[in-house]
Amino acid sequence: MSSELVFREEFSENAAKVIVSGEIDIYTAQLFKEKLYNTVDRSDTDLVIDCRNLNYIDSTGLGIFVGALKKTRQKGRNIFIENIRDNIRKLFVITGLDKLFTLR
Amino acid sequence: MESHDRIAITLPCKAEYVSVARLAASGVANRAGFDIDTVEDIKVAVSEVCSRIIGVAENGSKQYEIEFNICANKLIVNFTSDIKKIDCIFQNDDDGLGMSIINAFMDDVEYCPENKSYMLSMTKKF
Repeated sequence: MSSELVFREEFSENAAKVIVSGEIDIYTAQLFKEKLYNTVDRSDTDLVIDCRNLNYIDSTGLGIFVGALKKTRQKGRNIFIENIRDNIRKLFVITGLDKLFTLR
Repeated sequence: MESHDRIAITLPCKAEYVSVARLAASGVANRAGFDIDTVEDIKVAVSEVCSRIIGVAENGSKQYEIEFNICANKLIVNFTSDIKKIDCIFQNDDDGLGMSIINAFMDDVEYCPENKSYMLSMTKKF
């Protein structure tokens, strides 16, 4: 995986957790998509995405979040986004995705 | 256009160089005197356009240029490319997320310029 993006996952009984660090843009998006969708496919629990060290995301990355949410909801589960930085929360708000996702 | 400083950067139509465009946008916006939040906004908007240019670039497209014009009361960012003429690079933008972000962060955006040398122009006022 590119040095611009670090992806780590943890599984527990109640939730799968993804910790994403660095930048998600058009360069890192494809690998991020593969990793995240793979996590969703292997999990039958809710998914928590910890963004405390996510510095940057563009519309490509936001689109991947939406795709992952659709896949998760098809299983009757949900995605919770945690520890999101102000600059990224702003993007969720202006695109209206703050109403689609549970940000906490 | 009134007297202004012009900064231009030419990049390959490759995804790995969009981060370079972001660095350049941050540097120019900071030098122009915008506050830190606005610098971030301009950086994000520039990156969205670069990603789109790369997304619509056909095989054989080699590079694109970002031209920053620091004017007395605004920053104008123009994008040009050797991409085969495309009227509107955000045409067929399925989810519209990129345009939502650009519209929120910039004051004026010319998405489909006619008879202009650039393929997109956007302005942020001081």
